Amino acid sequence: MSPITISVFNLVGNGFCVEAKDGDAVFNSISKALQQEQSVEISFHNVEMLTSAFLNTAIGQLYRDFTEEKIRKLVNVVDMADTDIALLRRVIETAKLYYKDPSWLEESVKLIMGEDE
Amino acid sequence: MTSNNLCNIHSSSSDYAQIANLYDKNKEKYFEKIPVSLYEWFNANMAAPLGAVLDLLEDNLNDVVFDHINNGIKSILQKNGFLSHFGFPLQVDSYGTTIQYKKMKPDDGRYFREYVSTQFLNRPELPNMSVGLRKKMTEAMLELFVNAQLHSETKHVYTCGQFFPKYHTIEFCIVDTGIGFKQKFLQRFDKKISSVEAIRWAVKDRNTTKIGVSGGIGLAILSEFILRNNGKLQIISGDGFYQYDSSGEQVEKLYKGFPGTIVNVSFRTDDTNNYSLVSEAKKTALF
Repeated sequence: MSPITISVFNLVGNGFCVEAKDGDAVFNSISKALQQEQSVEISFHNVEMLTSAFLNTAIGQLYRDFTEEKIRKLVNVVDMADTDIALLRRVIETAKLYYKDPSWLEESVKLIMGEDE
Repeated sequence: MTSNNLCNIHSSSSDYAQIANLYDKNKEKYFEKIPVSLYEWFNANMAAPLGAVLDLLEDNLNDVVFDHINNGIKSILQKNGFLSHFGFPLQVDSYGTTIQYKKMKPDDGRYFREYVSTQFLNRPELPNMSVGLRKKMTEAMLELFVNAQLHSETKHVYTCGQFFPKYHTIEFCIVDTGIGFKQKFLQRFDKKISSVEAIRWAVKDRNTTKIGVSGGIGLAILSEFILRNNGKLQIISGDGFYQYDSSGEQVEKLYKGFPGTIVNVSFRTDDTNNYSLVSEAKKTALF
């Protein structure tokens, strides 16, 4: 099956992909495709600005619902600036760690509590 | 009635403390006249925290009146639109160094986007900076707004900035009157820590109070950018003061707490680093 293209610009409605809630629209579209084993190309054509908050919900959340193997096999990113790819890479690494081991966050809380005592 | 004097306000911990004290001194008042005086110097970006606390005092139906403002201060605060909220006329900013004072609702992302575009990103009169640098600064501003939107539970967000050509810096300040870092940490983890520790925890990479969604990299990325740019990051939340720059972290407990959170960033405009160059941007192993 050839990949379908998801236009981030079109889903958000402008080139500033900033708010977390806007990321949800992208996440929902990708999720629908992955549930049907459909491969997707996420196009960032005409996207000017991105925040980590947007990418956390748009793409980071995928690691909660799908395996890394499935995401790697079915999702591809196109038309993204190198600097934005660096940000997305970081979002993905963070999401992988977060969903693999949620207790990690509790450890960081214990650490700061220890420092605080 | 004695005036509430703010004197020589730059952006050091004692300057934030003056604004926090002004709030604390008047927070129990209702239906009163609250006179405020500004002396010597007032960094224009500090209009954001001042506007936030004066708004809270006006919420109690007090009448805030400026009974003395130095001429230089008055001029810049008329140019950036701050004093328009208190009955003064707007003045034309012929030097183009102000980033307007604005009060907006936290769910008004579209408005903030336009604000950043017109006041900063597409401003021809700001100094010549590389596209990469201007983009990094804009992203930082947007991340800060989204942080306030997601975490603060505030009614309004207050922003203001100023370009200082002589020092090659832009200061940008974003303020909320929400629950603050300490309370947010308590809500999320049911554990009490100091405001300073709550800020120190939040700026660490991957630490987040969000539930069910990964995150916590916005402030970490901002800190990394600040270091590379040789700029400065300040976070004041409750009685916690945190500053990060090339000399490291500096923390302090303020005598009186600020009723919300202030994030003030100082960027160097003469930064010649290449922010468009990313050595490891290979798409292959992205997922």
